[in-house]
Amino acid sequence: MMEQLLQAFPGPLPLEAMYGKLVFYFIAMLIGVAFGYTLEIGGFGQSTKLAAQFYLTDMTVFKVMFTGIIVAMVLIFGASALGWLDYGRVFVNPTYLWPGIVGGLIMGVGFVIGGF
Amino acid sequence: MSATAIKTAKPFANPYVAGTLLGIVLFMAFLLTGNGLGASGPINRMLVFIEDIIAPQHVNTTPYLIPMGGGSTNPLDNAFVFLTIGILIGGFTSGYFHNRLSFTTGKGPRITNKTRWGMAFLGGMLMGYGARFARGCTSGQGLSGGAVLSVGSWVFLLAVFAGAYGVAHLLRKLWT
Repeated sequence: MMEQLLQAFPGPLPLEAMYGKLVFYFIAMLIGVAFGYTLEIGGFGQSTKLAAQFYLTDMTVFKVMFTGIIVAMVLIFGASALGWLDYGRVFVNPTYLWPGIVGGLIMGVGFVIGGF
Repeated sequence: MSATAIKTAKPFANPYVAGTLLGIVLFMAFLLTGNGLGASGPINRMLVFIEDIIAPQHVNTTPYLIPMGGGSTNPLDNAFVFLTIGILIGGFTSGYFHNRLSFTTGKGPRITNKTRWGMAFLGGMLMGYGARFARGCTSGQGLSGGAVLSVGSWVFLLAVFAGAYGVAHLLRKLWT
């Protein structure tokens, strides 16, 4: 039943068209709440813990970030293969190579200086 | 004794458990909205909102700013702005339930609080500038783009860690 429903109406759901802007924004806020909560339980609210990643005394940033990316990746491509998610309508960041490299390097320096 | 004892902060979750939950949240964001997670874009929009009050003419004539705040468009009328508000609520809620809410300055033992605050401001400026340069931060570009296998996002992620590890030794006084 659930499977048929998902295949009949694959994500991403047109939430704004379905329920209006208010509901859409509220759901976005709930996703944000879940995001903030998981970051905090992982220790991402503590700058000393984040900075410790760069002195190799605490590998939490690597563990949480890359576990998160890999789990999401498997779910996204698994759901697409099952027809639950229409990958064609998923936003994939376009590649701007040099801006990405320069911006990334600046952010990395900022990360160590600022701690977040 | 027990009545006056300060509640001790609970330990953080296992990083792989937190990472798995983070991955599920990220997937749900894609499944429900078609977009991943983001934090720098909305902060940019909050700035454009203020800019639009102070210098509306500038916002109305700058190609980068027009889609966000040109004419009668409200820069805050965007799902990601609400997602960011949610991040604050979620982080605060978790801190509350795990007894981790407190006013502290996290820093290494060799610098003063004021140095740390100055550095936090400077680091924040660099993070903001770099995030706009790269069209996303570690959430919008790194986590979200990384999960959908965007080449540029992976290059960006490597650059972030390269930049950080590149200067970490020079700046060790801040943290160790």
